[in-house]
Amino acid sequence: MAFTILDGGSFVSDAGSKDIILPSSADYFKFTNVTQMAASGSTCVAGEWFGPKFLTGQTAANDGIRWRKAGSHAILIDTFATSTATNGFTYITESPVVEAQAANAITAITAASPAVFSQTNTYAAGDIIRIYGTTGMLQYGGIDIQISTVTGSGYTAIGLRAAGLTAGTAGFTRRISRYNAVDPEYMYVTEITKGSTTLVRTSIDPTLYYVVGMKVRFSVPSSFGMIQLDGLTGTITALSSADYTMTVDIDSSAFTTFAFPLTTLSPTARLFATLAPAGASTQYNPNTMVQTGYNFTLQPFHTGQFTPFMRLGGGGAGNATGAENDVINWLAYKLES
Amino acid sequence: MATGITNINNMAPELPLQFSEDLLSTPMFNLIHSFGADLHYADAHIGKTTRMSRYERLSTNGGQLDGSGIDPAPEVVVRSDIDATMEIYAKTVVINEQVTLYENDKVLTKFTSLLGQWMREKEDLLMRDLYSSSVSYINAVGGGNGDQPSNISRADVNNIERILLGNDARTMLESVEATRMIGTSPTRDAFIALASTDVSSDLQNVSGVLLKNNYPNQDGLRPEEYCSISRFRFFVSSKGAKIPGASLLGNTVYTIPMFGVEAAAKIEQNNYSAILGYRPPYVVSSVAQNSQLYAKFAIARAITNQNWISGLNVTTLA
Repeated sequence: MAFTILDGGSFVSDAGSKDIILPSSADYFKFTNVTQMAASGSTCVAGEWFGPKFLTGQTAANDGIRWRKAGSHAILIDTFATSTATNGFTYITESPVVEAQAANAITAITAASPAVFSQTNTYAAGDIIRIYGTTGMLQYGGIDIQISTVTGSGYTAIGLRAAGLTAGTAGFTRRISRYNAVDPEYMYVTEITKGSTTLVRTSIDPTLYYVVGMKVRFSVPSSFGMIQLDGLTGTITALSSADYTMTVDIDSSAFTTFAFPLTTLSPTARLFATLAPAGASTQYNPNTMVQTGYNFTLQPFHTGQFTPFMRLGGGGAGNATGAENDVINWLAYKLES
Repeated sequence: MATGITNINNMAPELPLQFSEDLLSTPMFNLIHSFGADLHYADAHIGKTTRMSRYERLSTNGGQLDGSGIDPAPEVVVRSDIDATMEIYAKTVVINEQVTLYENDKVLTKFTSLLGQWMREKEDLLMRDLYSSSVSYINAVGGGNGDQPSNISRADVNNIERILLGNDARTMLESVEATRMIGTSPTRDAFIALASTDVSSDLQNVSGVLLKNNYPNQDGLRPEEYCSISRFRFFVSSKGAKIPGASLLGNTVYTIPMFGVEAAAKIEQNNYSAILGYRPPYVVSSVAQNSQLYAKFAIARAITNQNWISGLNVTTLA
C-alpha cells in the first residue's frame, strides 16, 4: 500500500486556529468543513496540503489548496494565499516553535493600556506573537504577547500596558506556538499592582499554563523599580483569563512601584521582568473540600508543544477552521515509499 | 593481437572501488544539557507523575524568650512540591532485506549504533528545552553591541553570580588547584553555564576569561568545556538554545542557563530502561522482506529549585 491514512478526526471550530498533533508526521493532509458544505455562498468547504515529499509541489507555510463554494452547488478552487489572504495549513516539526512565516511589519503601537497594534495581518484571536525590531516603543522589543479583538488591520494586546510610554511607530512580529517546548513556562510580567496580595499581569493569558495553588518565582531587574519582588516566590490564589492576571500571596504594600523602563534607557536597561514555575503548595481543606496542588494536567513539568503538528489557520469562514461552531473533519495520510 | 602497454585504460580493475578500512565518523553534537541535572527514579505501577518535595527553611526572625513564660509563636512548615510527567520517546528504522543483502557494511549493527546515538542526543535536547522554556532569563546589557540583549559581558555574568549566591545556590564543580605550570591559573569552585557554540567567540572576549587550556590541570575535564568566567565554567554545544529573530534588532537570541546543584532533575523510569530492539522480517512484513530496529526511552524532567538557576539572554558581537 503506497498511501496510508494515518489518522483522522473531527472537531467543532471556535473560529480560531486549531493545532492537530501528528505523531507519525504526514505527507498529505485534507479537511472538509461539513457545516459549510451545506451552505450557499463563497465559504471554504475543504482544503488540501502536500508535504515536503512532494518537493517543488509542496505547500508553502500558511497556504494550501482551498475549495470554496460558488453558489449552492458549484465549487471554486483557489489557494489560501489568494489576493484576499486567509489562513491555511502550517506544518510544524520542531520545537521551540517559531512558525515558518515571513516577518510581518507593524505600522503603529498605541501608548495605551492595553496597547493597540496597527498591522495588516491574518492572525486570529488568541494567537501568540513575538514582537521585535520595534521603533519608538523599544522596551517591548523581544517580548511575546497574546492578541485579541483581531481584524485584518490590527489587534489588541491585553497584557501589554503602554500608557505613558513612547508610542511604537514600526516593528515586526512573528506568530509562535501557544505552548513552549516545556510547560509550565516562564512568562513576561507587564504590570504589578501593589497590595496585601499582589496582582500581576502577564503578556499572555496565564490560565494557559498555571492554576491556583502553583508557586511562581519572580525575576525583576532593578530597571523595573520593584526590586523587593526580585527572587521572591509566591503562591497563586486567583487567576483571570479575561485580564491576563494572577494574584499571589505576597504583601507588596511597601514595595516600590513597578514600571517598564523608558524607551530613552534602551538598550542598556536590563529586561525583562519574568516569573517562572516553582512547584506547588499542595493542600486539601476537609472543611471546604477545596484542594490545590493536585492538578496533574498543568502543574507537572511536561512537554508543552507536541511536535509535529498541523496548524489549521483560523479567522472566519474563508479560513481553514471555518466559522464558529463549524464541524471540521480531517484526515492525515502518509506515503510509505 | 593488440600491441602496446597494458594500462588501466585497457585493463580496468574488476571492481571500480574498494571499501576503506574504517567508516567515517557520524557527526554528534556536544551533550551538555544532562550532566548537571540530578538523577531520580520513578517506580512502576504508581502513575506517570513523579512528585519531588522540598521543605522550605524556617524563618530566623524573632525567637528570643523574654522570661515571661510565653512561648514563641509556632511556625507553619512550608513544603514545595515539584511534579514531573513521565514521557516516552521512540525512533525506528525499517530496513528492506535487499539493503542487508547488498550493502558492503553490516548495516544492522551500524543502524543500532545510530539509534543509540539518537537516544543520547534526544535526551540532551529534551533537557535543553526544559532549561529554555521554564527558567527566568535576564537580558545581557553590558556588551555594547547596541542590541537588547547585548553580547555577553563580565558584568552580566557577575550579575548572575550575585543572584545565585544571594539565593544560597551551591556550586557544582570543584576548584582546579594551582600548579607550577607557566601561564595557568587556578579556577574556583564553580556553577555551570551552557551555551551555544555561536557564542564561543564572544566568550573569548569577556574580561577575565580563562580558556580551558589555561586551567592548571586538564585531568577529568569534559571535552565540551570551553572556558571559565567569574564563578562559571562554560560548556558549549552546537545545539545550545537559541531563539531566531527575537532581539530588539531582530537578531538571534541565545539563552544561557547558569546553575548550581539540585536546580534541575532528570527522572528515569524503573522497569523501562532505555531499550534498543529488533523485529525480524517475518514479524514486520507479510513476505518477510522488511525488518525493524527501534529505540525507546522514558524521561521526566523538572526545574526543582528556581532559586538555584538563572541565566542570560545574549546576542553576538558580529
